[in-house]
Amino acid sequence: MGKEKFIPIFAMVVLIIGIFSSVYVYATQVNTDTIKITNETYTIEQIFSITKSRTVSTPDKVNFSGVALDDLIIKTGIDCLSCHKYKIIGPDNYEKTVTWENMQHGLLTKDGTVAFSDLAKAFRVKNVIRIEVVE
Amino acid sequence: MNKMKLIAGTILFGSLWGFSECIIGSYLHNSFLPAGAIMTGVFAVGLMATSRILYKQRGMQLGMGLIAGTLRLFNPCETCFICSAIAIMAEGAIFELIWYKMSLDLKELKKTTMSVSMGIVSSYVCFVGGYVVTQIMTPLFSSAGFYLENLLVFIPQILARGLIAALIGGAIIPATLLLKKVDIASVKDKVYYPVTATVSIACWVIVILNAIFILKVL
Repeated sequence: MGKEKFIPIFAMVVLIIGIFSSVYVYATQVNTDTIKITNETYTIEQIFSITKSRTVSTPDKVNFSGVALDDLIIKTGIDCLSCHKYKIIGPDNYEKTVTWENMQHGLLTKDGTVAFSDLAKAFRVKNVIRIEVVE
Repeated sequence: MNKMKLIAGTILFGSLWGFSECIIGSYLHNSFLPAGAIMTGVFAVGLMATSRILYKQRGMQLGMGLIAGTLRLFNPCETCFICSAIAIMAEGAIFELIWYKMSLDLKELKKTTMSVSMGIVSSYVCFVGGYVVTQIMTPLFSSAGFYLENLLVFIPQILARGLIAALIGGAIIPATLLLKKVDIASVKDKVYYPVTATVSIACWVIVILNAIFILKVL
């Protein structure tokens, strides 16, 4: 197949992939006011009432205030905290897996954003819906 | 074309790209617009296609990506600058691969269907490729590490976000082809070198001063 045929067909395929992915993302988007941590579901208010507060400055010089992620995990009663990794999941399936050490530098803000003082912005997850304990 | 002219052109276009990523990209990001898609479609693909049309040389866009990515590292504010720098360098390499088989005079792009299609393909693949590369590389440089499952579940989002970049690219390439008649080789050296040097230096100075200013304010 020559370039004259291949490139327009490839462009069409690209557009179809983009359109179907947009429909899929829209259809699977989850919007919730609660955050599921391991198997328990909490409201932001509940989390803020039981967890220590923390302020961090991220590597891109943005200041965040909220509750300490490590304290939040401790309050949920998980054993051997440093044995696990923690998966932070957003409503658009954006997820990042971090270590216990990272959790000790992280926080959850009132608007549901998780940010870390020791990790790049790529690890910032907005509107968090779930925190899973892995490994 | 004279090698020195080519190097000066690479530095000029790479600096313009880096400048737009640092200054305009930050503005777009703060305006809650799809900054990544706009930056790839308009500035990355637009500037790389322009340089390819004007200089008719392969390899130049890879160099532009390296220069623009390096300049992005000098602006450690606002968005994730390491991610952006990696994405910019990856976009330069991806563009180079896509356009490698094209003839130097780009006669294949005479038909509008071809130029629009090439714009769609270039922008989409650059955006998606750059996004995927940065999602892999950024965690590798951090203490958290990279997890393939984190990337796989997010692939539909990346593919969806690329649609805007693709549509912009479809309009940008036909527009840049209007520059095809410009003969950069005919520009006299005593004009070419001072202009490229001045514009390149201005881009770097503005980006560095902007970074110093923001860091002082913070």
